[in-house]
Amino acid sequence: MESPNETVALAGNPNAGKTTLFNALCGASAKVGNYGGVTVEVKKGEFFTPHGRRLELIDLPGTFSLEGGSPDQQLASEVLSGRHEGHSRPDLVVCVLDASNLERHLQLALEILELGIPAIVALNMVDVAEKAGLRLDPVKLSEELGVPVVPIQANRGKGLTELKQAMRHPFPAAPEVVHWDKDNAESRRAFGLKTAELAARRATLHSTNLSDRLDAVLLHPVFGWVCFIAIMFALFWSIFSFAGIPMGWIESLQESLTGAVETRMAEGDLRDLLTQGIIGGVGAVVIFLPQILLLFFFIGLLESSGYMARAAFLMDGVMGRAGLSGKAFLPLLSSYACAIPGVMATRTIDSAKERLVTIFVAPWMSCSARLPVYLLLVPMLLGGSEGGATQALVFLAIYVLGTLTAFVVARILRGRLGPDEVKSHFLLELPPYRLPQWSYIFRHVLERGWSFLRKAGTFILALMILLWAATTYPKLESDDPAEVMAHTVVGRISDFIEPVVKPLGFDGRTGTAILTSFAAREVFVGSMAQLFRVEVAEGEEEQETRAHIRERLSAETWADGRPMFGPAAVISLLIFYVYALQCLPTSAVVAREAGSWKWAVGQFFFMMVFAVLASLIVYQGARLFGLA
Amino acid sequence: MSHQAVKELELDSLQSLSQAQVGCDFMIRALDGPECDRLRNLGFCETLQVRKLANGRNLICSVCGTRLAVSSELAEQIKVTPVSPS
Repeated sequence: MESPNETVALAGNPNAGKTTLFNALCGASAKVGNYGGVTVEVKKGEFFTPHGRRLELIDLPGTFSLEGGSPDQQLASEVLSGRHEGHSRPDLVVCVLDASNLERHLQLALEILELGIPAIVALNMVDVAEKAGLRLDPVKLSEELGVPVVPIQANRGKGLTELKQAMRHPFPAAPEVVHWDKDNAESRRAFGLKTAELAARRATLHSTNLSDRLDAVLLHPVFGWVCFIAIMFALFWSIFSFAGIPMGWIESLQESLTGAVETRMAEGDLRDLLTQGIIGGVGAVVIFLPQILLLFFFIGLLESSGYMARAAFLMDGVMGRAGLSGKAFLPLLSSYACAIPGVMATRTIDSAKERLVTIFVAPWMSCSARLPVYLLLVPMLLGGSEGGATQALVFLAIYVLGTLTAFVVARILRGRLGPDEVKSHFLLELPPYRLPQWSYIFRHVLERGWSFLRKAGTFILALMILLWAATTYPKLESDDPAEVMAHTVVGRISDFIEPVVKPLGFDGRTGTAILTSFAAREVFVGSMAQLFRVEVAEGEEEQETRAHIRERLSAETWADGRPMFGPAAVISLLIFYVYALQCLPTSAVVAREAGSWKWAVGQFFFMMVFAVLASLIVYQGARLFGLA
Repeated sequence: MSHQAVKELELDSLQSLSQAQVGCDFMIRALDGPECDRLRNLGFCETLQVRKLANGRNLICSVCGTRLAVSSELAEQIKVTPVSPS
């Protein structure tokens, strides 16, 4: 099929619903949220008009004006004016306006109309505007602007057919600017305000609504913080306690699979590969699927409801102590799910120096790939049992540790970079609270889950097979398992690296598992299962895989009889994973966003050295106090 | 007295949004400071009404039905006069 040769761009203020419209038109599932600045790069899709014409649709980041602004906003302006290298000037612009905010949103629409590109106005969220008591007059608006105006409700798919009809060929002629002076911002502003008054008459200027009442509590200097802490605790509690139920189902499935293979196959290398390498190794990672799904579900819920912007508002004071602003909170919170979207979300930060600092510390927000490691290790500190409020508190402490360190480093770095040339101020739109878009949230959560499973089924599977081979060959005919292990490739690697990792409290096998987790952190659990030869016994119902690994690890001792995984070693291991940057894709995105590989390489080595030193201090300190 | 001096005197006599009382409606009369254009793009235009909702390091206000959190330093650049309840 030939590629479409005409491009339609969606442009508008932040949080006008451009991406929701993009998803509705293209059947895509690009990230949406109820706050400004979710889209930070140009997204492309395709759709058909009712006449069967295929058009390319580009979704631009939201911007308040075509002049200045943060990097994401400048990108929108460059594409629209044809100054962007990667994109040609669009053939048609759909100005997406929030109908309840015409006074503000029309200003950008007028700037776009001045560019001389054929344009259509999509008057979005007409339901919200009407509920707020606005009397909309799209016909009057169309007459004043000289372009077609289509009322829509992008989240419910209403008005899309009419919008597509308006995009039929030939495109509407480029509007002529006759009502205001192009070169005079004051004249444009006055025309915008007058037109908004004509096309969207407000019954009352300020009436207290549900969002106001909710904000009175959620942004209250005391109750706001109580609610914020309660929401964050509920988030962590559900991830680390409630997820146990679906995890039990995955475990049962894994055990029955192992049982089925063991009863049907004769003993040998192939059976070992299937049970230990594939089912044991990959299964040890897949088990964390429920937690990862829950994390993305809660973050989706916060983004979709409008609470994210409130959290940024509350956190501005705290972030200020770290030399950052409340705007840096959104990228940092996203980094708890994954540092990559977090680093990209820093584009909404106006100050270039603050942006660099936020990028630098974002990987210290414990991402979902670290979850499996924490879930394996934390119960070892709590006597082996999983679940409960104590565990949730320990997890919270781990997350707080990463976050606090990030803040301290951010403050030092921010101080060293010096003040901004142009002082930037905190300015944030607090969108009205909305019911979450459930269909989008579930689709997004399923996509993330599928991407996790795909990674487990391809990359992690391949790594597990390699690791199994490295822990099996070359073979030695001996009855002593330690001797057999020492003869294998991994045994030799372990011997080699043991002197390096021993001061941190780890033996060569744990060191090897850490090495393998540089490919992907979550591999650590599967690697530990393989390296310590953890077997899932047949018929052991409800016996958890992690419990097997933990039992095996707890029984491990050093040559002098000391337990290998005492509290000091476990804490040292946890500290290492909190601080180490073991994610190549994150480094690649950091290099792109910071505009230099130097930042990415510097960040990698800084975090690595920091992790090793922190582990060393913790373990050796514990030894001094006789805790190791 | 020069036109500029009259304007400055007029600006001085106006109160800023950060000084304004919470819960009241105000009319934006002037924007005075380096961030004027940015504020106008965000909807803080002269002649529009604004309601101040909360004080603090960042204050909350409502312009054209949109709630905005604005740093108090920035709010200092928004000059307002009270709107008498009709």
